[in-house]
Amino acid sequence: MPAVQETVAQVKKIDVDQYKYGFETDIEMVKAPKGLNEDIVRFISEKKAEPAWMLEWRLDAYRRWRAMTEPTWAKISYPKIDFEDLYYYAAPKNSEGPKSLADVDPELLKMYERLGVPLQEQEILAGVKSDKPRVAVDAVFDSVSVVTTFKDELAKAGVIFCSISEALREHGDLVRKYLGSVVPQSDNYYAALNSAVFSDGSFVYVPEGVRCPMELSTYFRINERETGQFERTLIIAEKGSYVSYLEGCTAPMRDENQLHAAVVELIALDDAEIKYSTVQNWYPGDKNGKGGIYNFVTKRGDCRGRNSKISWTQVETGSAITWKYPSCILRGDNSRGEFYSIAVSNGYQQVDSGTKMIHLGKNTSSRIISKGIAAGYSQNTYRGLVSAHRKATGARNFTACDSLLIGDKCGAHTVPYIEAKNSSAHFEHEATTSKISDDMLFYCQQRGLSEEEAVALVVNGFVRDVLQQLPMEFLAETQKLIGISLEGSVG
Amino acid sequence: MTVQMLSTKAEQAILASFEANAAKLPGGAAVAALRRAAIGAFASKGLPSRRVEEFKYTDLKANVKDVLPLATGGGTGDAATSLGAHFGPEFAANAVVFADGRGVAAKAGVTCLADTLGNAPDWVAAALADAELSASSDLLLNTALFSDGAVIDIAAGAEVAEPIVIVATATDNAMTALRHVIRVGAGAKATIVEIERAPEGSGARQSSALTQIAIGDGAEVVHIKVVETHKGSLHLSHWQVNLGANVTYKPFQMTLGEGLARNGLNVLFNGQHSTFDYGAASIVHGTGHADSSLIVDHKVPHCTSRELFKTVLDGQARAVFQGRVIVRPNAQKTDGKQMAQALMLSPDAEFDSKPELEIYADDVVCGHGSTAAEIDPDLVFYCTSRGIPTAVARGLLIESFIGEAIDKVEHEGLREALGGIARDSLTA
Repeated sequence: MPAVQETVAQVKKIDVDQYKYGFETDIEMVKAPKGLNEDIVRFISEKKAEPAWMLEWRLDAYRRWRAMTEPTWAKISYPKIDFEDLYYYAAPKNSEGPKSLADVDPELLKMYERLGVPLQEQEILAGVKSDKPRVAVDAVFDSVSVVTTFKDELAKAGVIFCSISEALREHGDLVRKYLGSVVPQSDNYYAALNSAVFSDGSFVYVPEGVRCPMELSTYFRINERETGQFERTLIIAEKGSYVSYLEGCTAPMRDENQLHAAVVELIALDDAEIKYSTVQNWYPGDKNGKGGIYNFVTKRGDCRGRNSKISWTQVETGSAITWKYPSCILRGDNSRGEFYSIAVSNGYQQVDSGTKMIHLGKNTSSRIISKGIAAGYSQNTYRGLVSAHRKATGARNFTACDSLLIGDKCGAHTVPYIEAKNSSAHFEHEATTSKISDDMLFYCQQRGLSEEEAVALVVNGFVRDVLQQLPMEFLAETQKLIGISLEGSVG
Repeated sequence: MTVQMLSTKAEQAILASFEANAAKLPGGAAVAALRRAAIGAFASKGLPSRRVEEFKYTDLKANVKDVLPLATGGGTGDAATSLGAHFGPEFAANAVVFADGRGVAAKAGVTCLADTLGNAPDWVAAALADAELSASSDLLLNTALFSDGAVIDIAAGAEVAEPIVIVATATDNAMTALRHVIRVGAGAKATIVEIERAPEGSGARQSSALTQIAIGDGAEVVHIKVVETHKGSLHLSHWQVNLGANVTYKPFQMTLGEGLARNGLNVLFNGQHSTFDYGAASIVHGTGHADSSLIVDHKVPHCTSRELFKTVLDGQARAVFQGRVIVRPNAQKTDGKQMAQALMLSPDAEFDSKPELEIYADDVVCGHGSTAAEIDPDLVFYCTSRGIPTAVARGLLIESFIGEAIDKVEHEGLREALGGIARDSLTA
């Protein structure tokens, strides 16, 4: 069977209305009382057995958050979120401190198996040959990390990969040194909220000169009703180190909207490189726009050292609302930031996403490739900032953001801000918006492809530049995801 | 409703200036009511700060520290002097001059708004009350304070051979506000030139000019503006343009100098198969600030928009380009292209660009580009390797960069005049 037909046939097996990951897991949970106040913040901190400074840090964030108002500048509309009507902490009852996979609730393991997340590391550890790629996984279920695999093997290389709660207990000094140094507590409304109530997330520390021996991955799952998920990820790459990190997300299908407000901080020191890839597939709501995740995320990387590099790759197909701008602060001389994005919206999804490249050091460079695909009744906005500070001599940027519209009920928007504050900055920006041309479709159909196959072929070609940046582990899934997200959008 | 408290001295001075001059401003009860409503709305909004998205890069609240006294007439001026050396006598012969906010030299076909307000034709009255103008506080100020302006009504089918020139001058340390209302009938052809320049050595001036132009089906209009500002001067310009069907509208804006200038342009496509072909060149020196902000609203199908913006910056100059192209849900077959380019000659220059696409229709081809860079050293090297001195080579490259925009002007006399003004500014 030709490759394209195979892809389409694969996609057809899954009905567009049947969000593949929409099941619920029945598991006994411990929850904090509804609403948010200082007591809830204390409750979360106590549950995590955190040091006193962390509680103070959270309370400070909470007080700042109280004084802030929700941002309204994005091109998204949604009913006002009642922050008092949410649970801010939910954890599987027996989850506190599993020592190994054997301690984890079998229901949870079953769930991750259904999601296709490889938590079983035994066969590889036992020396059984496997052609599957080896990926260390931190699985986060509602508010807590349930298990982190391959920890021992990573520890041999000196890499710390654990949940942030564990890092606070075991590596408190490291966390204290870097937490909030890229995204401060008062950075924005949702970052402040996250700083106050984040319950878990991943922590990665790669020591000087170490190339992390395997891909690291976190899998986020929202399960409980009326629960917000607030995770915090902190990745530190010491001098000359390299790490590639993957992130995936899913949630059950529900009529209600659920809130997800995460913060990710990356720090790359001299000559270090961090590659951060995301496949975001939160539940997008049904075909009438009911339900779905509100995804308000602050992701920022700090190229703090000379010659450092941070690369963001994202595939955004899920969520009712996406509000997300993975950014790079290019502070170190000769540092480099990259942003590759595919944002696919269908149904009534609203995406307002993009990046910020802030050039501060000398001879810094950045590259932005963004591909937006809007179908159905969705709205898809690219919003980006490229700025060169007065002292950032020799700053270079290239930006290409292209949008594809499928159907006449959707919208695709481009809002770039380009600020060159010195003459040696060299900025280029280009953007196009078009529909799939009838000529292209005709050409494909004339050669025997069906209309849907032709659309899949053209769309895959459209996003190829970004797909090439994805780690192999994500590539196949992403191609399938794009197919699913667009099914039913032809005509 | 949120009411913003007036906080700056300038805002309070504007309100006081309105109260002091309200009785002197032209117009009957209806116009007085419009003015009163506009100043009321201004009082609640205040001068736009960087928190107002359209003024993100041109913060008037922070930049306008003092307000100069409002001039409502009494000045003198002749066209030839006001136009400067580059516009020949044929332009002076067709010029209407506004000195210190009042028309002083009339021309056939142009009436002064102040003289017609007592018995304004319906289309003029409707234009003055256009609700689109109540959105932004710079426009509200013009409605509250305008003291005169040109009323031009070009009959359907008329072909006006010579450019109609509107020149505004003012004495130093004065504020002026002009409102021009223009109607071009179906199938007519005309060229309209607005010039706002202050001779070398002028003192501080503050001026506002708001032009409303409605263009009938099948008409062809060339619309040019030259703004020259000096240190300490402020010019706020806005064009509100309504296009019928099959219209060709070619605006060109040139901004020069060391003052603060903002050129707003809102164009609405109301009829199909129309073309908007915009060109702009700005040359900003010293601590000058030139802002060109466009909103191009494709409301109907089969229209074309083109924008080419070029700026040359030296000293600590700052140029801003904001171009927002909206394609409404039924505006299929829209073809929109936009390009903004900056050439930065000094390390401290700044260029802020925000080319924006807002698209709700799928069968469209839209694109934009934006670049900022210094002169390409390879190009300079190429010239010098062929015996051209470095300074001359740089001059040639800068001139050819800005010339690309000026070349969009088809009228030979105008193109030469604009080229001459640009050369003077570049060698200043």
